[in-house]
Amino acid sequence: MKIKFTKEENTFRREVRSWLESHVPKKPLLSLDTKEGFEQHREWERTLNQGNWAMVTWPKEYGGRGLDLIQWLIFEEEYYRAEAPTRVNQNGVFLLGPTLMEFGTHEQKSKFLNAMATGDHIWAQGWSEPGAGSDMAAIRTTAVLEGDHYKINGQKTWSSRATYADWTFGLFRTDLESERHRGLSFILVPLDLPGITVRPIPQLDGEPGFAEIYFDDVEVPVENLLGGDGDGWKIAMATAGFERGLMLRSPARFQQTAAKLMELYLAKQDHCSPMIQAKIVEAWAQSESYALSIYHTASKMLAGGSIGSESSLGKIFWSELDHMMHQTALKILGASAELSQESQDDAAKWIKGFMFSYAGPIYAGTNEIQKNIIAERLLGLPK
Amino acid sequence: MNFIFTEEQMQFKDAIKSFLIDECSPKSIREGWDTKKSFNPDRWKGLFELGVLNSNLPEDKGGLGMDQVTLALMVEEMGYAGLPEPVAEQTFLVNDLISLLPKDIGKAIEETYDAGAKYISLAHPLAPNPLFIADSAGLILFDDSQCKFIAKEDLNFEIIASNDPSREIYKINSTNNVISSAENFEELNSAVSARGALMTAALLIGLAQKMIDLSSAYVLDRTQFGKPIGSFQAVKHMLADVAVKIEFAKPAVYRAAYSLSENNPKSALHCAHAKLMCAQAAELACKNSIQAHGAMGYTWEMDLHIYMRKAWSMMACWGNEDRQQDIIFKTLSSTSEELGVLYTF
Repeated sequence: MKIKFTKEENTFRREVRSWLESHVPKKPLLSLDTKEGFEQHREWERTLNQGNWAMVTWPKEYGGRGLDLIQWLIFEEEYYRAEAPTRVNQNGVFLLGPTLMEFGTHEQKSKFLNAMATGDHIWAQGWSEPGAGSDMAAIRTTAVLEGDHYKINGQKTWSSRATYADWTFGLFRTDLESERHRGLSFILVPLDLPGITVRPIPQLDGEPGFAEIYFDDVEVPVENLLGGDGDGWKIAMATAGFERGLMLRSPARFQQTAAKLMELYLAKQDHCSPMIQAKIVEAWAQSESYALSIYHTASKMLAGGSIGSESSLGKIFWSELDHMMHQTALKILGASAELSQESQDDAAKWIKGFMFSYAGPIYAGTNEIQKNIIAERLLGLPK
Repeated sequence: MNFIFTEEQMQFKDAIKSFLIDECSPKSIREGWDTKKSFNPDRWKGLFELGVLNSNLPEDKGGLGMDQVTLALMVEEMGYAGLPEPVAEQTFLVNDLISLLPKDIGKAIEETYDAGAKYISLAHPLAPNPLFIADSAGLILFDDSQCKFIAKEDLNFEIIASNDPSREIYKINSTNNVISSAENFEELNSAVSARGALMTAALLIGLAQKMIDLSSAYVLDRTQFGKPIGSFQAVKHMLADVAVKIEFAKPAVYRAAYSLSENNPKSALHCAHAKLMCAQAAELACKNSIQAHGAMGYTWEMDLHIYMRKAWSMMACWGNEDRQQDIIFKTLSSTSEELGVLYTF
């Protein structure tokens, strides 16, 4: 046991820091959920890739650096410290990437991972349907094998980034006679194919961060099937594990928020009651605990362990923490908390984050679903 | 960075776990309650023979010089078993202080100390009622400015009732022949306060784990509306909430222990963090476990309260949640630049 960074890790940190210092745009990019902002963020993905930073844990042949999870966490810490732009391709690099690594053929890996790294393919998620939200096994969108292609019909919804993305990945029913978890397949679909209609859905913040995708006799080549026909559920569970687990929400994000909250408090403490102090302490203590837990988990994985249902514990923890921190910020802001996220006031960022923090307990599997998973798989309670 | 336990650390944890399964059953704890003798000399002797009682004494004093992480892992198991003997709260703390104590006190203790038979009790403003004095060789007593040692025969004491019947606690009425010293007091006092927080934190995490295990077993067994109550989401979610709290409290304990072993200047902050997270986890474990047990949870008969009562005491002693929050707030607000992503390790 050694709970401190090695010399090599510190050298790596300095390398990341100096690259970010000279490359992170000085002026914040427009929101990635606007057309112009989306392209600015795509450009940033290209810049990252030119520096060889698209995804440090990937093997070198796919545009990565072949580094370990600890180094990835260090990269993330520096990334948030530098206040670098949000990764518009997080569905790709954090979710589909690891899934391809585990289940993809060599051809699929070299095609999709490289295009992901270069920012040519920005990915949307295609899980939910109007009748299949928390109950994802109720998926009804069909993909019927006809010779060398699947013909897809149906509808996906709440597809994050689909408004401007290039591709989507998701689950489709390939065996029409099947029910529930069986007969589903994991298919990668370009969003510019004939028969696809994307209808943006404005979110709570007014921007079209997710969309509905309609499929009307869409023909997708059979080589876009990931894993075997009918293996979709198993693969999707692995992807969901990545999403809830280490990748999507690395601790640096929440530690950075906790630090900013402290700054906000120190600037405005004359207007606050002492009651806020306990919340500031909670923000620090919980984000610190989250970081410790993730380093503990990453160390276990490096020693050959794996992450399973434990990722559900983390998903609940960070989403509740994020909401609590933003609630606290709004309390510190006093009457400014009612300003629009568009305002020029310092409060605007907190207000946008506050609204987004309501999404945390819902996306990536609602916290209620996570609690069922914890109770059934970790505590051994019956279905 | 390698935040993972060594094989040796896990061996110590497993060894004490199996010892306690045999020697510290709920039945044996209740026997202590019934006979008003919770200190079990056979169990104490067993712990001594296992090498536990001397484990963190420095090697030159006849101990193993064990690191704080291994110690915390063992203490977690003591919490899990609801061990009545004051190993974590007194023996381990005193062992750790030995090399810091003022010379006169150190000498007096060395003359009376014999871990296998007689131990030293400890009282501090944060844990003012020493445990099991009747079986001890003497008392280390902290006040606001001095550290004192009083041999057992120079103590006039009386037993006071704790809400946890396993805890035989005392009030000191008067003392004779006190050896007192203000030497090194600040350092000594912060060392014992941080370690007290860590020891009680580790006990609490074990206790919380025990409560959730008892509750999971109960809700699987208890049937209503024709099925186990553990199949109802309202019950599942209560217990899942506790599992989340425990998961994120544990690494805080291991990190705090590591900081102490490494003499990290932030170890007091890290110990406060550990105690805060563990107290919150245990508090929710008490609340949701008794709820999951329904009326049975409110009975004397059910074993749940053995662990609940100890948890209540451990939350109160060596700094409660409020105190730890205060320590954290004062540290952070005076060194705010040290908050954030780069200062965890």
